[in-house]
Amino acid sequence: MLRRFRLEEPESVKEVSELLGRFGEAARVYAGGTELLLAMKEGLVQYERLINVKNIKGLNEVTLDKDTIRIGALCTHHQLENAPLLHQNLAALVKLEQNVANVRVRQVGTFGGNICFAEPHADPGTLLMALGAQMIAERSTSKREIPAVDFFVDAYETCLEADEVLTEIRVPVPADKSGVAYLKFGYLERPSVGVAVALRVDAGGKSIQDATIAVGCAGPAPKRVPEAEALLKGGSVDEAKANLSKAGEIAGGASQAISDLHGSQEYKEHIVGVLLKRAFGSALSQC
Amino acid sequence: MQFEKEVEILAPREKVWNFIWDVDRFIACVPGCKEAKTIEAGKLYAATMTEKVGPFRVEFPTTIEVLEREEFTHVKAQASGADNKIGSRMKLSLDVNLREQGDKTVLAFVAGVDILGKLAALGHSIIKRKADQVLDEFARAVKQRLEGDS
Amino acid sequence: MSKAMLRRADAQTIPISFTLNGRLQEIAVEPHELLLDVVRERLGMTGAKRSCDVQVCGACTLLVDGRPVSACTTLAFEVRDRSVMTIEGLADDNGKLHPLQEAFIAHGGFQCGFCTPGMILAAKALLDENPSPTEDELKHFMHGNICRCTGYKKIIESIMAAAKLMRESRA
Repeated sequence: MLRRFRLEEPESVKEVSELLGRFGEAARVYAGGTELLLAMKEGLVQYERLINVKNIKGLNEVTLDKDTIRIGALCTHHQLENAPLLHQNLAALVKLEQNVANVRVRQVGTFGGNICFAEPHADPGTLLMALGAQMIAERSTSKREIPAVDFFVDAYETCLEADEVLTEIRVPVPADKSGVAYLKFGYLERPSVGVAVALRVDAGGKSIQDATIAVGCAGPAPKRVPEAEALLKGGSVDEAKANLSKAGEIAGGASQAISDLHGSQEYKEHIVGVLLKRAFGSALSQC
Repeated sequence: MQFEKEVEILAPREKVWNFIWDVDRFIACVPGCKEAKTIEAGKLYAATMTEKVGPFRVEFPTTIEVLEREEFTHVKAQASGADNKIGSRMKLSLDVNLREQGDKTVLAFVAGVDILGKLAALGHSIIKRKADQVLDEFARAVKQRLEGDS
Repeated sequence: MSKAMLRRADAQTIPISFTLNGRLQEIAVEPHELLLDVVRERLGMTGAKRSCDVQVCGACTLLVDGRPVSACTTLAFEVRDRSVMTIEGLADDNGKLHPLQEAFIAHGGFQCGFCTPGMILAAKALLDENPSPTEDELKHFMHGNICRCTGYKKIIESIMAAAKLMRESRA
């Protein structure tokens, strides 16, 4: 049983923001509830009010706006795994979404909800960082763009202000001669380790013009690893390949893995290195 | 969970020792710890430990019992508390040793932390990481307080 | 004392209407009521089970507008203006079993039966979406329904057999 709460059903983002501003920590945004309701059932959190945001129009579409893919925060995982725009442009995201939890969670859980709950084992943040995504956060009177790389602060914590609402996620359409891959160790198994690699090569396919690497799941929040990226970009493909082990070590260290019941720190860092190599290969093959 | 920490403090051992028993100031070094009370000087203390991880908050009214004490060198204590709202209990054992190193004092401690109940659902690694953070901040705060005093 | 009398006078209630196995229901629920409890305790459909209570096992699977949801983690008011199907609604009005139910019987797709209502409803959603799943597609879809007894082989056989029957009867 859940504890009693009051349900608010606003019809605009502005109203949501006002409610959050008014009630502060006593209220929480409620969309699919797949993570929130579990935490509430466990008694780990309680709220006087849940703000049902599902009646707000226009937040559950996937659209192409020039060279940006716009994903509404209320899109469910089920929607995203079936979205033609994503199948055409972001196969790595489709694969990620296909593997979220199980079919029932995918049916009602939202992309925005997953991102805002910021559960350490979640996948989207890691891939969105590698893709250079922007999060659109709105409050009553303003709107701002937050780079994915700045969005995830700590376990269960984003940089959103108390009265801010995530409304959209914008992903640049991948350029020509680019590839991106997200690999996760053991969906629904442990330890949980996720690595995303995005690459862009030159017209001849011989040198790496850009590389982004993000690691997640092993630490409290996903992060980019610029030090490892530096080893892979700016040189030839062969040079990058030769640096993969070193890049893997650096990425492992950056993952903030600690030894716990799910595995030793060394083991998790090792997995980061393995996934980095494989994700690199996969991304490169798409270029 | 066990943690071992060591911090070098630019202060004489006597000063560090006395600081430990200055309950209000000592407890203030533990992040999130408040309302320190002496129930029986040298033996029994009380405080409220609060922590938060994202939206999850705990508040443990805690009793701290001193088990062993060797003047200026060693103190062993154990603490326990329960947060009934969240159905969780916390047990902490603390083994503190002071040794002189030139004009510095090395404060070394071994902390055993156990979290029981619903909070454990957050996951072993989150709790371990948090406990580690708290103990690190604690050690740093003790050093700062002692070195900051004239 | 009935649950209705235990509701506080100032409690927020939400009147909802929805169809349950084809029949219109009009009830009032409090925001915090879970679909699983409403369906089991108030509407007498006990096929759906509370098992893990954290939407991992699938024993509480219900179909809402034909799609599978975890009733243990769905707020009851969310089914307003929708159709809900429980296992009790799968057989037709004359009691003739659905091909999935027939197949589970014919192929030994259950032992204790605890996971079976959820298993069959999830399979129905799968076949409604994809009438000819490959075994891999079946396993991926059914991944969230756990069985402790059968080892899954017979479940897979049952669903594939039902799929074949359903395709043939449509042809």
